[in-house]
Amino acid sequence: MSASIFDTDRDNHWCPGCGNFAILAAMKKAFEAQNLSPHDLLVVAGIGQAGKTPHYLACNMLHGLHGRALPMATGVKTANHKLNVVVSSGDGDCYGEGGNHFLAAIRRNLDITLLVHNNQVYGLTKGQNSPTSALGMKTKLAASGPTSDPVNPIALALSAGAGFVARSFSGNPDQLTGLIQEAMAFRGFAMIDIFQPCVSFNKINTHFWYKERVRDISDSDHDASDLQKALVLAMADPEQDLPTGVFYKKERPAFQDRFEVLNAGPLSASPFDRAQMDDILARA
Amino acid sequence: MGNDMTILIGGKAGQGIQTIGTILAGICHDAGLFVFSVDDFQSRIRGGHSFHLLRVGSRPLSAPSARPHILVGIDENTYGIHRDELVPGGIAVLNRNGGNHADLEAQNGVFTVPLEDLARDAGGVIASNTVAAGVVAAVMGVEMARVRSVVSRRFRDKGEKVLALNLDAAEKGYAAGKSISFQAPVSFDGDTNGEHVVMSGAKAAALGALAADCRFFPFYPMSPGTGIVSQLAAYAGQLPMVMEQAEDEIAAVNMAVGAAYAGVRSLVATSGGGFSLMVEGLGLSGITETPIVIINAQRPGPATGLATRTAQADLLFAIHASQDEFPRFVFAPGSVLDTFNAVKRAVMLSEKYQVPSIVLMDQYLADSARTETNGFVTGDEHQSFIQDTEMYQAETYHRYKVTESGVSPRCLPCTPNALVRVAGNEHTPEGLPSEDPVNRVAMVDKRFAKLGAMTGEMRMPSVFCDNSSFFLVGWGSSKGCIMEACLHLREEGIDAGWILFEDLWPLDSHKLKVLLNGKRLLMVEGNATAQLGTLIRTLTGIEYAASILKYDGRPIYPEYIVDRVKEIQGQ
Repeated sequence: MSASIFDTDRDNHWCPGCGNFAILAAMKKAFEAQNLSPHDLLVVAGIGQAGKTPHYLACNMLHGLHGRALPMATGVKTANHKLNVVVSSGDGDCYGEGGNHFLAAIRRNLDITLLVHNNQVYGLTKGQNSPTSALGMKTKLAASGPTSDPVNPIALALSAGAGFVARSFSGNPDQLTGLIQEAMAFRGFAMIDIFQPCVSFNKINTHFWYKERVRDISDSDHDASDLQKALVLAMADPEQDLPTGVFYKKERPAFQDRFEVLNAGPLSASPFDRAQMDDILARA
Repeated sequence: MGNDMTILIGGKAGQGIQTIGTILAGICHDAGLFVFSVDDFQSRIRGGHSFHLLRVGSRPLSAPSARPHILVGIDENTYGIHRDELVPGGIAVLNRNGGNHADLEAQNGVFTVPLEDLARDAGGVIASNTVAAGVVAAVMGVEMARVRSVVSRRFRDKGEKVLALNLDAAEKGYAAGKSISFQAPVSFDGDTNGEHVVMSGAKAAALGALAADCRFFPFYPMSPGTGIVSQLAAYAGQLPMVMEQAEDEIAAVNMAVGAAYAGVRSLVATSGGGFSLMVEGLGLSGITETPIVIINAQRPGPATGLATRTAQADLLFAIHASQDEFPRFVFAPGSVLDTFNAVKRAVMLSEKYQVPSIVLMDQYLADSARTETNGFVTGDEHQSFIQDTEMYQAETYHRYKVTESGVSPRCLPCTPNALVRVAGNEHTPEGLPSEDPVNRVAMVDKRFAKLGAMTGEMRMPSVFCDNSSFFLVGWGSSKGCIMEACLHLREEGIDAGWILFEDLWPLDSHKLKVLLNGKRLLMVEGNATAQLGTLIRTLTGIEYAASILKYDGRPIYPEYIVDRVKEIQGQ
């Protein structure tokens, strides 16, 4: 791996062979390609192996509670919508603990890039089922597999109205790097669900399992402005076919556009208006 | 209790009894009188029984009264529910269109007025509340010109037609009320001198937040905290602020942390159930040293409890909420003006020490409107503590630099080039997660290094009649009721004093022990276990002598305290 201004000297805690390494490398490349500096970037993270990503990146970092990265990012963007915010989350963090916030952030059209490291298993807590685990995936705690059907994050995001919905695979870093750049350039909520193998706890959805099923839809004639076609692709049987690339892309007013007060600039920027406050109190 | 009177207006939810109270309060205020109102309502939109208590006096009032001189019944049930609360010589004015009161009319002191019929004559049944206000104004002996002035102010923005309807409705009510004989114990001859305002605790909290430069108010609706957010809405176009309805209280508090991290002061207002959901976020604010303010407008619990009622039962919860330990501030203002100042101070101290602040209000304080001395002024609480000079030291900047005071330089992300790294994990001075035991101890110690200075910011409780034979001890919103009860007891020759807490955490246990030592303490609290008494015992080893506790979801009225004190003292 070549040196990057986003490198840190911190010891990496991920297992050797983890898909997270490829995602981290793709993020750095995408940031560099946009000529960003570490101080231009804020990575907001939840809890899980994906939540550790900003520990290994030179950048501003807000690493909060399990499932709550998106509400924190909402607060950040309300205070200063000019900030370049990337949220690093995982399948458990984003679709499980934070499921309500995921829907709410899409509905707000929060102007951020959401990278969901989706390995279909809980890694940090050592191998429990995640919201994206397939039925039949046996674990120590669930000997006969999950008792819930898996969520379909792409279909969920599309139906909730997300403006930029993409899927990628840690085994295709060039595609992922390009998608991250495209997502960050998108004005509004942009998510990339990223398949990645968990070498320690997911013996089913391995690198080779993904490799046999993924295909890049940019090679096909998919029209990313067509929501119906995107939904059809999203509903493909994951045992047979895992389309990757941009499913859907359409801009609409972003969160900051919905507040007149933010048109003038970031909420954090204007000085305290003492005269106005005095006037309000005089009239109270 | 003196030169004052109380009006009780009762009816069903949705009948607009509050509107009547608000018009009457406006009339009294214009006449230079002092008002104190309380709303007692059920968690429903229509039906049931609600009432509004309006106390009016020629001297400042610190408490409501539950003993009406005039009982106004909009529906058929009010009279039966409240007749025994009338003071001797009190009268009832009942709505002839609101039930069959024929058998009551023969009784002494009961009068009926057809509110809806009169409103219909004026042009619309919708104005029947204005008719009622006109009736009561006449009964109280107010001049019609005052009624006209208040009604005009209230309806002038609603168009000429609505204004004309309501003025006519007020006239018709006033004419009907003239025939009812009643001698009000207060006079309406005076004028307001501009030194006083009528305000609710909810509005005072909202204004306090704005005066301290809070700009972000993420919220999830929950009675009685919602009232504070509703009050903020009026100022949305006047100051830079964002109110955002969150998907739940967990989101609200995490949004507040995110915005505070990025440089905007944030406040969340909720009630006990919402605060329960915010507890992990409170801990996040604690360990990341990101200042936020949470207002918990208490209601009885646990769980849903009594949704629209009042309580003082979250004191120990507020002090201890979240796993593990970190410094925080807890305040419980006792009046409307105190609320304004407490919220300002909570915001400022939260910023100064980079800790969360909790302000405990309750339904009684949030919803009751009172005449207050106009001390609502902008102070210096809005001034920033963010350290600009450090922002340019990218090479050496550490968000959690260990300092003697425990307060580290706080910069904002991307402003301009210092990396601001913040983690809810235990972290190094750089802000990176670390499990190193030496670092862990250093960080806990760093956070607690603030405690001495924080304690120094706290004001000791106010003490009245330091040499009394016993003291009524309370905290938060019951302040006024305790003061009035105490003064009443003293008038009767009972040697009572008071000790009232507003600053509740962190407390200086040594100073507190010196202050309380040798005193006979009667705890007066809106909970079942005397939580402040428990706190005092924990901090000082001093045991309270007795307690007057009320946990029925209603305010602690002065009369109640006086009666219990006499029982306890055997007098």
